[in-house]
Amino acid sequence: MILEPQKRISVKALTVWRISGAIKIAISWILAGVAIYLLHIFKGPFWISPLLIAIELISSYFIIYLLPSLRWKRWRYEVREEEIELQEGIFIVKRTLIPMVRVQHVDTVQGPILRNYQLASVIINTAATAHEIPALEESEAEELRRFISNLARVADEDV
Amino acid sequence: MSEPKRLHPIVIVLTIGKRVKDFIFSFIALFFIWNKGDGGKLLLFGASAIVIIGIILISILSWLRYTYRLEENELRIEYGVFVRKKRYIPLERIQSLDISEGILQRLCGMVKVRIETAGGSGTDEAEAVLSAISKSEARYIQEYVAVAKNPSVPDIEDVQEPSNHTVFKMTSAQLILLSLTSGGVGVVISAVLAFFSQLDDFIPYEKLFRGVGQLAVSNMIVIAIFVFIGFVAAWIVALFGTMLKYANFQVAKTEHDLVISQGLLEKRQITIPLTRIQAIRINENIVRQWLGYGSVMVESAGGSASNKEGSKVLLLPLVKLQDIEKILGPVLTDYRFASNFTPVPKRAMNRYVFRSWIIIVPLAVASIVFLKGWGLLSLLILALVTIWGVLKYKDAGWRLEEQQLSLRYRTMVRTTVFIKKSKLQVLELKESYFQRRKDLVTLEAFVKVGFGGAGGRVSDMDRNDVKKVYTWFSRESEKRD
Repeated sequence: MILEPQKRISVKALTVWRISGAIKIAISWILAGVAIYLLHIFKGPFWISPLLIAIELISSYFIIYLLPSLRWKRWRYEVREEEIELQEGIFIVKRTLIPMVRVQHVDTVQGPILRNYQLASVIINTAATAHEIPALEESEAEELRRFISNLARVADEDV
Repeated sequence: MSEPKRLHPIVIVLTIGKRVKDFIFSFIALFFIWNKGDGGKLLLFGASAIVIIGIILISILSWLRYTYRLEENELRIEYGVFVRKKRYIPLERIQSLDISEGILQRLCGMVKVRIETAGGSGTDEAEAVLSAISKSEARYIQEYVAVAKNPSVPDIEDVQEPSNHTVFKMTSAQLILLSLTSGGVGVVISAVLAFFSQLDDFIPYEKLFRGVGQLAVSNMIVIAIFVFIGFVAAWIVALFGTMLKYANFQVAKTEHDLVISQGLLEKRQITIPLTRIQAIRINENIVRQWLGYGSVMVESAGGSASNKEGSKVLLLPLVKLQDIEKILGPVLTDYRFASNFTPVPKRAMNRYVFRSWIIIVPLAVASIVFLKGWGLLSLLILALVTIWGVLKYKDAGWRLEEQQLSLRYRTMVRTTVFIKKSKLQVLELKESYFQRRKDLVTLEAFVKVGFGGAGGRVSDMDRNDVKKVYTWFSRESEKRD
């Protein structure tokens, strides 16, 4: 589009997304298992079970393997003196431009899986919106948070 | 004025009314559950009596406990029956004071003052309401706040009167046209329908209509007439509702604010500081657009989650499009209300039509397959939706000035939004795989409005056009080139 942002998020993000995808998929496998079991007991139509299994298989492939890598390949960000630029999205590519003067505050967030891999997400809040940069190296996230909040403080335009 | 003051006792009546309203459905439910046998009835009356006495007592207590005072440049409110609460609002944090008069307040010559802060926290905690104070008191607070916010102004009296000039005053003809073309009709109709469908269990429709039924079932026309009368009645109710709400509509400009006053039974006055205006929006529903009219709204940063009205205020309820520039130009000097927009490219039309088909085409196919002959009616809907899609395409457009981005698009109504660069929060571009092949990009702009954001969005703009907007908003694009 217009000069892609340059920085990528941590490669470990892939692993994290695969793990959390696997957890979600595992839950849906359990649900599917229960459904198949119930169908068996109540003598529901036979064709539903293989269909369920097929859907589960396909979505496993998508959620654990394909989507995380597509998502990672697309994710770019760049934080400059006066603005932040983000690019994300799998089928729909979304580009976001946030002027530094609009940033209200910055958070870093770390769930259990992220913590295990020494990663953290940075959430940038403006008066109207919130934007997340997922899965950065802990040190980088911390640095980014400092950098942004310093710059945001300098240029304080009221709403 | 550091003495703690109470509100007018009429507040007790207001509070009782409000609580009874909250309880009324549980009352009705109880009525149907317990209204069997004498024991049940006794229980019912006992419970109702206790609840009502409780409500009255609590209302009186909460009136007694509610005090406010102006002290050390803060508005200090203390209240709460069981849990005592204190809310101190620094005067310079106050965004606006809305003054309104309900019927009860008017009977006692009181007004209701709603104090708006920036509402950053997003809860209703951000604001305060003085439900009934005297008019002179309200004026005193207004002036006190004005001085606190603007210490350079020496004399209050000078500020209030001379610079105050009327910007817009709605004529009765406009009021009638406004009511006739308002969308409130649909709301009232659906509310009435929903109401009757809810009452199904309680009202013995079958008994009521048994006599009528024999007549009506054989005679669909009777039913049709009933429905028609119902619709007309709902429309008339909505008509009068709108008329009452917007009667005496008037906009004035003081030095720093826009002051809107409106209403016949319930008078309302809304103050919008000019600096808090985030965007100007023109809405034209299909009837008004056809007549060349639209309504202008101001989106401001005030307001909170519980009071969304505070942030999106009707500035000109109904106005000829070509008059907008003339009326608002002198008031909002930094806005340009141009009407020539750059359209989206021709190759975007297919996408607009296609998007409108996504839901309706499968439905149409399904209904033709399953309903046979009657299903063909869905083709009519399909045609309507297609026209809608084409309209959306035709209305989409954008315009860029040095300090202003203007977007035009249609959802149900045609919307034109004017945003200053200095108020634009975030810019977002989106392109799907199919858009990329056609070099089209969707542009979305966000401004802060009350709690959360608002803005505008134009689908399928030309990539080069989007690039222009993007570089215009980017503060570092010059450095990079």
